[in-house]
Amino acid sequence: MTLTLERIRGDVADCLGEDPADIPVDENLVDYGLDSVRIMTLLERWRRDHGATVSFVDLAEEPAVESWARILGVATP
Amino acid sequence: MTVLIEPENGETGALDCVLPLTAAQSGMWFAQALDPLSPAQNTAEYLEIDGELDAEVFARALRRVTAEADALRVRIEDTPDGPRQRVCATVEPPLTVHHGLTREQALEWMRKDLTTPCDLAAGPLFRHALFRVGERRWLWYQRIHHLVIDGFGYSLLVRRTAEVYTALIRGEDPGPRAFETLADLLAVDAEYRASDAFAADREHWTRAFEDRPEAPRLAGRAALPSRTFRRHTTHLAAATTERLRELATLTRATWPDVLIAAQALYTSRATGRADVVLGLPMMGRIGSVALRVPGMVMNVLPLRLTVAPDATFAQLVRQVVLGIRRSRRHQRYRYEEIHRDLGLLGEGRGLVGPLVNIMPFDYGADFAGAPARAHNLSAGPVDDLTVNVYDRADGRGLRIDHDGNPALYEDADLAAHQVRFVDLLARLADADPNTRLAAHSIATAAELCLVRDEFNRTGRALPPTTLIGPIEARANRTPEAVALVHDGTSLTYAELNARANRLARHLQGLGARPGALVAVSVPRSVELIVALLAVLKAGAAYLPLDPDYPGQRLTYMLRDAAPVCAVTDREGRLPGDAGTPLVVLDGLDLAGDPGVNPGRALTPAHPAYVIYTSGSTGRPKGVVVPHSAIDNRLRWMQHTYPIGDGDRVLQKTPSSFDVSVWEFFWPLREGATLVVAEPGGHRDPVYLARLIRERAVTTCHFVPSMLQVFLAGPGASGCAGVLRRVFCSGEALPRETAGAFARTLPGTELHNLYGPTEAAVDVSHHACAPDDTGPVPIGRPVWNTRLYVLDPAGQLCPPGVTGELYLAGAQLADGYLQRGELTAQRFVADPFGPPGSRMYRTGDLARWTEHGEAEYLGRTDHQVKLRGQRIEPGEVEAALAALPGVDGACALVREDRLVGYVTGDGPSPEAIRAALARELPDHMVPSAVVPLPAFPLSPNGKLDRRELPEPVFAGGAHRRPAGPREEALTRLFADVLGAERAGPDDAFFDLGGTSLLAVRLVNRIREELGAELTIGSLFEAPSPAALAARIDDASPVASDALGVLLPLRAQGTRPPLFAIHPAGGLSWAYAGLAARLGPDQPVHGIQARGLAGSAPLPRTLWEQARDYADRIREVRPHGPYRLLGWSVGGILAHTVAVLLQEAGEWVDLLALLDAFPAEQWRERPAPEEGDALTAVLRMAGVERGAERTREDVLATLREAGSPLAGLGGGTLSRIVDIVPNHARMMREHTHRRFHGDVVFFTAAAPRPEHWLTAEAWRPHITGDLENHRLPCTHPELLREEHVDRIAEVLSPRLARREA
Repeated sequence: MTLTLERIRGDVADCLGEDPADIPVDENLVDYGLDSVRIMTLLERWRRDHGATVSFVDLAEEPAVESWARILGVATP
Repeated sequence: MTVLIEPENGETGALDCVLPLTAAQSGMWFAQALDPLSPAQNTAEYLEIDGELDAEVFARALRRVTAEADALRVRIEDTPDGPRQRVCATVEPPLTVHHGLTREQALEWMRKDLTTPCDLAAGPLFRHALFRVGERRWLWYQRIHHLVIDGFGYSLLVRRTAEVYTALIRGEDPGPRAFETLADLLAVDAEYRASDAFAADREHWTRAFEDRPEAPRLAGRAALPSRTFRRHTTHLAAATTERLRELATLTRATWPDVLIAAQALYTSRATGRADVVLGLPMMGRIGSVALRVPGMVMNVLPLRLTVAPDATFAQLVRQVVLGIRRSRRHQRYRYEEIHRDLGLLGEGRGLVGPLVNIMPFDYGADFAGAPARAHNLSAGPVDDLTVNVYDRADGRGLRIDHDGNPALYEDADLAAHQVRFVDLLARLADADPNTRLAAHSIATAAELCLVRDEFNRTGRALPPTTLIGPIEARANRTPEAVALVHDGTSLTYAELNARANRLARHLQGLGARPGALVAVSVPRSVELIVALLAVLKAGAAYLPLDPDYPGQRLTYMLRDAAPVCAVTDREGRLPGDAGTPLVVLDGLDLAGDPGVNPGRALTPAHPAYVIYTSGSTGRPKGVVVPHSAIDNRLRWMQHTYPIGDGDRVLQKTPSSFDVSVWEFFWPLREGATLVVAEPGGHRDPVYLARLIRERAVTTCHFVPSMLQVFLAGPGASGCAGVLRRVFCSGEALPRETAGAFARTLPGTELHNLYGPTEAAVDVSHHACAPDDTGPVPIGRPVWNTRLYVLDPAGQLCPPGVTGELYLAGAQLADGYLQRGELTAQRFVADPFGPPGSRMYRTGDLARWTEHGEAEYLGRTDHQVKLRGQRIEPGEVEAALAALPGVDGACALVREDRLVGYVTGDGPSPEAIRAALARELPDHMVPSAVVPLPAFPLSPNGKLDRRELPEPVFAGGAHRRPAGPREEALTRLFADVLGAERAGPDDAFFDLGGTSLLAVRLVNRIREELGAELTIGSLFEAPSPAALAARIDDASPVASDALGVLLPLRAQGTRPPLFAIHPAGGLSWAYAGLAARLGPDQPVHGIQARGLAGSAPLPRTLWEQARDYADRIREVRPHGPYRLLGWSVGGILAHTVAVLLQEAGEWVDLLALLDAFPAEQWRERPAPEEGDALTAVLRMAGVERGAERTREDVLATLREAGSPLAGLGGGTLSRIVDIVPNHARMMREHTHRRFHGDVVFFTAAAPRPEHWLTAEAWRPHITGDLENHRLPCTHPELLREEHVDRIAEVLSPRLARREA
């Protein structure tokens, strides 16, 4: 399964215990409870399932779904 | 060791730049500034590198990384604008390389290096060391000051160093600089601080903590940061870690959330508090350029959690998740600033309890193929307790470090907290997260076994007897032994038994039988013992009614308990309105009743006595204690502290206090003799010491506060060798008191007992050893008794953890008389005992020591003990609130005194106290009542007891003290009571006096006035005036307050000070000075001849001085002499001094108080009678108004309440003669020369007689003139504040022995 923006959004929502619909793609995820442990959890998942090669710092620097899609090389529709 | 890179300062001037500190750095800088030599801000870790390492290349890598990390290369400079950081253009990283050390030696080296304080001004703020500790095994140590690094910063440094090293080894380009700059950090910081978010964040935190919660701490207290910390390290098994991760998934959280929740649960239960505040270190970098800066960024955020026993663990985890999410939105606001905003900084209070520091950073560094693992050595200062959790993601589970402030935690404490925390984690990981939190204990299985079973192994099979049975058996066995002595009376066992039997039969005739109650209200006497025995012999339970209690309370108790009859010593002892049939012993003829034991159907289950204690809802409650309970207690006592026919036990505790139960009956069961003290005698340490010595008392009891007073009294040490054992109970026994006991009464045993009335007097015991330290435990349980220390969830607390003390076993009372609901609340089912068993909830806080002794730590509620007497403030508050006009009431204890606070439009404080005294026993009547317009409230609307004002203990309008004794006593009253002032007619107990303070006062009176008073005399003569009269009656020497020689203090070993009167002729004014010169300094006033009688007045000062010199030599035939005089008294003192010197004597002190030689006056007109009247009025501190005649003056003095008015018209008339006579003689006087120094005190306030100067004495002395200027007028010179100063100057001179 390829990584998509919706997939990222779904994984983030899952990790934060929220509904994907409640996670705006352009807002700072820290306000939704994102922390370093959750970033690591997501990163490990994406490395394992999607072969992601980005680093923790890359993701942590811009904590928003849209940005991550760009960093992870996912084409935004 | 080789030094690869020499440390240098890296001064390359031009390229340096100077920057301010970030807020985060400022926090660290401030912490360091508090203790500049502390190494606590050193952080350190080492990497364990598995493989070969090229130290040269490593050094090059380090140099490069250092060059890239400008945030590290700073020094701190103090500037007028505060600290600044100079970023040095280049810094050679200090690196040493060590070969040939073992791993242990290397670690030892690192730990030692860690204790080196860092000089922020000199820099560099970091250092490195490499250790080759084996084949293919290197350790890389870095120590960095916390001002420039945090945990995440380390990971950046390590990874970049590994990257650069690897590239260098492989001959590759390490790539461009990887870090952002310190300037970037500052920009981020400045931007935030200027933003709206900053203000919003401050608002958030201020509101979230506006009630300024007290953060629970595992140590139970806070301490200043130490220079070092203790650490215990453990690992959570991989399997457990895995289950915790699963639990996290189940609860839609992360494993750190679960760990934080577990720590909250642990903290809550270990501190007994539902509200906990944890500190969470946050990396504070997400979404920020700081992610690429190895610097100091981290912050600590407070997390408030409520841990309710009924909530589930899943709910607690959810609370953590949501709480952190809320915090995270405001995470840039600094901890230090929250702390300061809340005003906690100024109070030295902490904001958070334990810190939970989760470090999930990936540390997979690789040095050219050699893998490396990081090990933290120091994570920075530890204020309280920090739990560091490291996930190394290497499949080895979690590493958990418990770091503790050594001022708060011993190694064993930390180890215990860690073992329990890990044990709790394991149990939580296995449990259903929807289980109630109450189901989890924080104790380990082994600890549970200890506190439930081992510490309570007290089972002992006993025969089923009653309180009275063994007494009758003893009377049979030793009929001729002496059972009791009181005053001049002594009764044998047979006599006592017979008298009690006769009364018992009489009582049986009135309905006394098993299960019934008989009240006894008899002052301490033989009759009291007879009455108590008689009630028990009749099979009934006795109800002691203290004869000193107010009528209303006695009526209430009689109505509430409904005894079949009440035994009193005389008519009128008990109020008649309760309708209880009375048995009046006075005149009761029982000769016809047989003296043999009466029959009765008594079983151990029947009640033996009912004792009333204070009730929190406003009504006292009767505790019903069965025979089996007190029988168990007395059998244990006899086994533990065996007494026999050689023992004499002192009975001094009032019968309404349950300690009296063993005093009364234990000796009579064992063939010992009961020594009965006088009523009221229990308050008088001098009397008690004498009684103990004279009656050879071997065993007695003291409430600790009274023991303290007893030991300080003059007779205590005389009891050594007589007393064999002393029992303490009723309140906490301070270690200092136990120490004083061991010193004063060596060889006498001291036992600390503990127990509430609800469990047959005492349930635990501890023998004090002279060399013990720390709090005195209440000890181990007695026979057939179990102590449980329970946390708020009802779980057993492990040793060291404070909880509420519950009691179970044979000694529990049946409950409260007629109070089923209250009984059910306090006597609850015992979940640890056999089915159907009960336990009593004491409301006392306690903890187990690891040795199985309990320690008392206070109350769960507001209940207080005053001198061993239990007081529910609620009861006092109810009584206050019931008064007309009182809207709200609060009662609490301040400095050993009960204080009542009221709002509303009620009666005056005096009237309120008087009203309460009619309802409540003495010890429950507030020493002071403070009316308030409104009660201070905390932010959440609760009464804030801390904000209630200090009461002012002071009397009403005062007259002035009459005479030196009254004056001295008035001052002593004020001193002892801590009152601003006391009047001569104020009653000691109205001013907040307590019996303990009374003892202190009597001791002071003995020391300062040399008068022997008993405490009893203070009760009979409670005001300074009344006491002065009593002392005067007792000491004829002092009765002549108008004699020439007035001994202000006759005792003392030093040469006396003679103080000569001022113009009025009286020396009373020197009483205050005498009191301040200490108990060893005798002071005699010299007063004008003729004050009392009609002796002719002297014609010259020389004649007068010769007379005084003679009187002085009667007291002290030879020198050295010490002389002092105020006003004309100074001229007289000088003259006396000359006379004594001329007689060949040595005068070693001449002190003149605002006295000026004759020639300063000679040219001025002498006062007429009118001026004399002015002078008299001035002596009384009254300015002259319209008074024209002596009669007018007398009337004014009487009106002003002056002591001079009390002298009577005759004396006053004499004074009016004496004043002008002095004025005349002074003008005619010619001085001779005194060979020595003069100490002079000038009343330095401006005065009309501006020409007066101490310098005028120069021609009349050969020595030095030492002048002390006091800011007052001449008449004010002997007022309190100035006398203090005078005494201060004179004391060292008087203390000087003749050299």
